[in-house]
Amino acid sequence: MLKLVLKGGRIIDPAQKIDKVGDVLIEDGVIAKVGGDIDAAGAEVFDARGLVVAPGFIDMHAHLREPGQEAKEDFASGTRAAAAGGFTTVCTMPNTRPAVDDAVLVNGLIRRAELERLVNVKIIGAVTKGQEGKELAEVGDMLQAGAVALSDDGRHVANAKILRTGFEYAGMFGGLIISHAEEASLVEDGFMHEGAVSAMLGLKGRPAVAEDIAVGRDVMLAEYTGGRLHVAHVSTAGAVELIRRAKARGVKVTAEATPHHLTLTDEAVIGYDPATKVNPPLRSQEHVDALVAGLKDGTVDCIATDHAPHAFEEKDVEFRYAPSGFTGLETAVGVVLTGLYHSGKLTLPEVIEKLAAAPARVLGLEAGSLKAGAAADVTVLDPAAEWTVDSAKFYTRGKCTPFEGKRLKGRAVATIVGGRFVMKDGEVCG
Amino acid sequence: MTKSQVSLRGRDILELQGMSVPEMELILDTAREMKNVIDRDIKKVPTLRGKSVVNLFFEPSTRTRTSFELAGKYLGADVVNITTSASSVVKGESLRDTLLTVEAMGVDVIVMRHEAEGSSHYAAKVVKPVIVNAGDGQHEHPTQGLLDMFSIKEKKGSIAGLKVAIIGDILHSRVARSNIWALLKLGAEVRVAGPRTLLPRDMDRMGVQVYDRVEPALEGADVVNILRIQKERQQKGLFPTAREYARLFGINRARLDLAKPDALVLHPGPMNRGLEIAPDVAYSDQSVIQEQVKNGLAIRMAILFLVLMGGTNVETSA
Repeated sequence: MLKLVLKGGRIIDPAQKIDKVGDVLIEDGVIAKVGGDIDAAGAEVFDARGLVVAPGFIDMHAHLREPGQEAKEDFASGTRAAAAGGFTTVCTMPNTRPAVDDAVLVNGLIRRAELERLVNVKIIGAVTKGQEGKELAEVGDMLQAGAVALSDDGRHVANAKILRTGFEYAGMFGGLIISHAEEASLVEDGFMHEGAVSAMLGLKGRPAVAEDIAVGRDVMLAEYTGGRLHVAHVSTAGAVELIRRAKARGVKVTAEATPHHLTLTDEAVIGYDPATKVNPPLRSQEHVDALVAGLKDGTVDCIATDHAPHAFEEKDVEFRYAPSGFTGLETAVGVVLTGLYHSGKLTLPEVIEKLAAAPARVLGLEAGSLKAGAAADVTVLDPAAEWTVDSAKFYTRGKCTPFEGKRLKGRAVATIVGGRFVMKDGEVCG
Repeated sequence: MTKSQVSLRGRDILELQGMSVPEMELILDTAREMKNVIDRDIKKVPTLRGKSVVNLFFEPSTRTRTSFELAGKYLGADVVNITTSASSVVKGESLRDTLLTVEAMGVDVIVMRHEAEGSSHYAAKVVKPVIVNAGDGQHEHPTQGLLDMFSIKEKKGSIAGLKVAIIGDILHSRVARSNIWALLKLGAEVRVAGPRTLLPRDMDRMGVQVYDRVEPALEGADVVNILRIQKERQQKGLFPTAREYARLFGINRARLDLAKPDALVLHPGPMNRGLEIAPDVAYSDQSVIQEQVKNGLAIRMAILFLVLMGGTNVETSA
């Protein structure tokens, strides 16, 4: 029997409302006991004194680029990045080449993930064929094949009738539709948030109202059909308020925010660094404040990275020609702990809830908690560790990040998947 | 910081937003002396002999490119023009590789015009030669801004306290973004006016007064800076017709009379006569549009001189 004892850490498991110092016993890949002083005879011991032992973090929004764009990332590099960043489960979006829009692809990727993965990989299928927004994909077949949700991420399902059909049809299978909410006609040719900074830089803007309109419509369709909607990377105050009101009415809507939208403003774009180009764009302070407030009060359920690696040469161009997105798996925990915990905006249990229990709840995964009998997916944090972001040390193939050179406080120091270390002391194992 | 301590040697000229008042004044003062060189019979001076300047233009341009070319040549530098239609860019070469190629040839200054905002910032990070921004997308056109400051100062003596109206397509104008910063730094009151569809959102946060009608902006103005209207804006639906634009926003004699009687009229060119500017305004005594072209040459000479040779003691003897 393989035994591992995490000794003397602060155990925080929001799903079980646990916050206490003690030991965690892992046997044969599952959580055997949490709390107290556990006899470690015959067990491997990990000294967790001064550290936080949390349920494994789940990133419900990442781009692992398989199939088709393995030069940017693949399951091997992406899951190593996830392990390095403290994530035990990562969900990959279907905007690949080809788009993941049928069960054959879902099955193939699940098999690929079993062969290549270091952490758990979950597959998200497309809502429409080719993510073109014209015809519903075989969403029932994909969900039955193991897809955990459906999304045309990268694009908004612009045709309201198709989204309505998607909610109704996917609803038969309990399917969750993740929306990239953006009214396309208002954002075409826009490169950053529309406001004072875009006025100054001369860059065409993407107005916040484009997201508000799309969220408003999607929420109404979810309400009308009874479908389950999850709003990806919420970035505007208006969207937060629409979701807050919808939740109050009982609409089945959840939402996520990214570490960068929670901590950076559009002022980061001054200097035209393509590393700051992302979709939705970095917004102004009032939006950031609304997002943090929404996270705090539960309107925004969870934190997701929107990890979007690109090849060096794609981002090494003039701002307007650079693709949107950057890597996030290896900076997320440090950014969140620095920007939300050490700043006093969120408590540690709240941070862990947003990174573990909440995404598991949204996706309906048996994960995100240290309850006895659960798979031993664990993230160990050192909230006090100070470090400097250096993309040269990243495991992901995408080296572009707006946090390059930033000093952060707090990081994952160990990642355990199924009772096995996949990262220890910052080094990925295996 | 006093002017005598200011040096632009080796300094990239990317934008006026980040330029200090003493730096601007140094350029304007130097340009005054350079203008004397232009007026000479024999214009060539050996000041920049042995220095090389490349005009790297990714967009069509007559006046700016020619102005930089003559500025370099009048000061004795070797000047090469690269236009994208005749360069490896058409073969898909990246901006980084084009810049590295130019740098490898030992060039001292790269004057760059590019359609992407911030491209000169990018260039300054990638290569060592001094980068002079000759217009980057809708961001800035610093030498145009400085030549406009020179033109205003020459006629009005000082810029502090003047009321300056910038009229037209502010949203897409790199000239507006340079002039606004320069005018504000030099103490002018700046008003911008144009159809609301051609005004950037939240522009008032830059410290200017924003109007969606031209009349209140013109009232009592000392300077009227008219911007070019590009016809494709109309095709994109940002205003209904050229006719309506001319009627509602074009600067004609009657509208100009709302400004002070001695108000200067500026236009960066090329002009759409009859659209944003009526011919009787363009060619009136108040117009300094042709003088702006000469002043642009003087400014560019001053900049090439200052970034290559330093800050003081302009040596213009033949």
